[in-house]
Amino acid sequence: MIEVQGLTKSYGDTLALSDVSFTIQKGEVVGFLGQNGAGKSTTMRIIAGSLGASAGTARVGGFDVAESPRKVQAILGYAPETPPLYTNMTVGDYVRFAASLKGVPDIDAATKKALGRVGLEAVSHRIIDNLSKGYRQRVGLAQALVHDPTGLVLDEPTSGLDPAQRIEIKNLIHELSLGDDRTVLLSTHVLSEIEAICSRVIIIHKGRIVAQGDLATLGGGAEKKVHVELARPEGAIDVLRKVPGVTLVEHDGVHLVVTGERDVREAVAAASIPFGLLSLQGQRLEDTYIQLTTRETT
Amino acid sequence: MIGALTIARRETSALFNTPVGWIALTAFTFIGGFFFTAMLIGYYSAFSESVLNPQQADQLSVNEWVVQPFFSNLGVIALFIVPAVTMRLIAEDRRQRSIELLLTSPVSSFEIALGKFLGGMGFALVMTATTLPFMWFLYALGDPDSGVVISNYVGFILMLGTLIAMGTFASALTENQIVAFMIAFAGGLFLWISNWVVQGMDDGPLKTTIDYVSMLKHADSMGKGLLHTQDIVYFLSFIGFFLFATSQRVEALRWR
Repeated sequence: MIEVQGLTKSYGDTLALSDVSFTIQKGEVVGFLGQNGAGKSTTMRIIAGSLGASAGTARVGGFDVAESPRKVQAILGYAPETPPLYTNMTVGDYVRFAASLKGVPDIDAATKKALGRVGLEAVSHRIIDNLSKGYRQRVGLAQALVHDPTGLVLDEPTSGLDPAQRIEIKNLIHELSLGDDRTVLLSTHVLSEIEAICSRVIIIHKGRIVAQGDLATLGGGAEKKVHVELARPEGAIDVLRKVPGVTLVEHDGVHLVVTGERDVREAVAAASIPFGLLSLQGQRLEDTYIQLTTRETT
Repeated sequence: MIGALTIARRETSALFNTPVGWIALTAFTFIGGFFFTAMLIGYYSAFSESVLNPQQADQLSVNEWVVQPFFSNLGVIALFIVPAVTMRLIAEDRRQRSIELLLTSPVSSFEIALGKFLGGMGFALVMTATTLPFMWFLYALGDPDSGVVISNYVGFILMLGTLIAMGTFASALTENQIVAFMIAFAGGLFLWISNWVVQGMDDGPLKTTIDYVSMLKHADSMGKGLLHTQDIVYFLSFIGFFLFATSQRVEALRWR
């Protein structure tokens, strides 16, 4: 459904994106992870057709965004990080305007449906300016949904929201992704959101894709960490380093974390150190993410 | 083109949803009314004096004394008011990021430019309509030449179109509405008075060119009731040029 091939974008001398490629199948919900300035928004804007790429292609539903942007925009809904709102309009008028711009045949019905989906019927007559940030974010989503697109590109839909609003929006996106076979590309830096909604993750760092794959693969991790609780850590570090299979022993003053090629709990237990508790620390998405995005790209 | 009309409709109603539109309309009507009254008084006193001089009375025409100078003054008012109306057209969209909605909707850059222009035109037509009561007044009390009145209206609307097209372009150049206002105002003023500068100049291609560019010159002949194709072409070509420039500018926004 969304196919990105060798996308490169430079702003003057700054390279914002470098050879970014990925494919999102129809019906998939994919999380797009990266630090601020990693190139998430740039990639999404190129897919949505509001930004031209320096090189490479983006295709949505088989159409090239650069060649036939109108065709892409007719089947794609895009919600930028800052909702593109006319704040002195009412919610209803705004969504109706978006519907008309997107060439929806039955504007009133489409508006009603979109407002219903994002839970805005009750405030449809209110001026957007007077709404809370969470509601404005919803108006931004309504705009992206009003033409019933088969693909949705959502750029940090939960940024700047309080925890309660964040959960609401997260649930809303989850509902939107269910059924209808809708393809969703969602960027965020709240990892729990990705873990809750997405089936697959793409991690971007400094304009390059550094990892992509199923949540299970990226979250599972190849390395195993064992958390060791010790009464007296002194001396134990050297002993642990010599345990077969152990590659790394980290010590932060209170906890010892032993990383091995495999599950090294048994080996650690066999070593003669007075440990209190041994527990396996499964590698989570967060660890993969931190690992990939904190290392320097060479 | 439905996209352009959708944008136009929103722009016109947005102008009436903000104080800017109403203030502009009030200022235009008030100052326009002031000029109209002043011209009627001038006409009346000239008429009173001419009672002693019957030959002069024959030359006193309401077209020359009221209609033509009234529209000429409206042009000057428009020079100030139109930039205030057009400055927000695209600059505001860029500032509050709503431009993103337009850029990611299935409408072309030209449709966006045209829509914004037509939105401003919608407002300008309402503004023009507020002068109709003045004309009604003239018809009720006197006998103005309809040909002159119509050609003045056509000229005035074409001039508004040129100023709006230029203002839309100025608004696309920057996120700052004040800057957009200044550019549009300076551009309008230049078009308005450019022939003053060259009046003392020797005849030559430069003088002819600057003379031709002057809006005042083209508006003048329309004020006299003459609808020449060349004058209409003058205004339409300016409108076309600025619409094209605006659409190019909107397209360029997709590349930054």
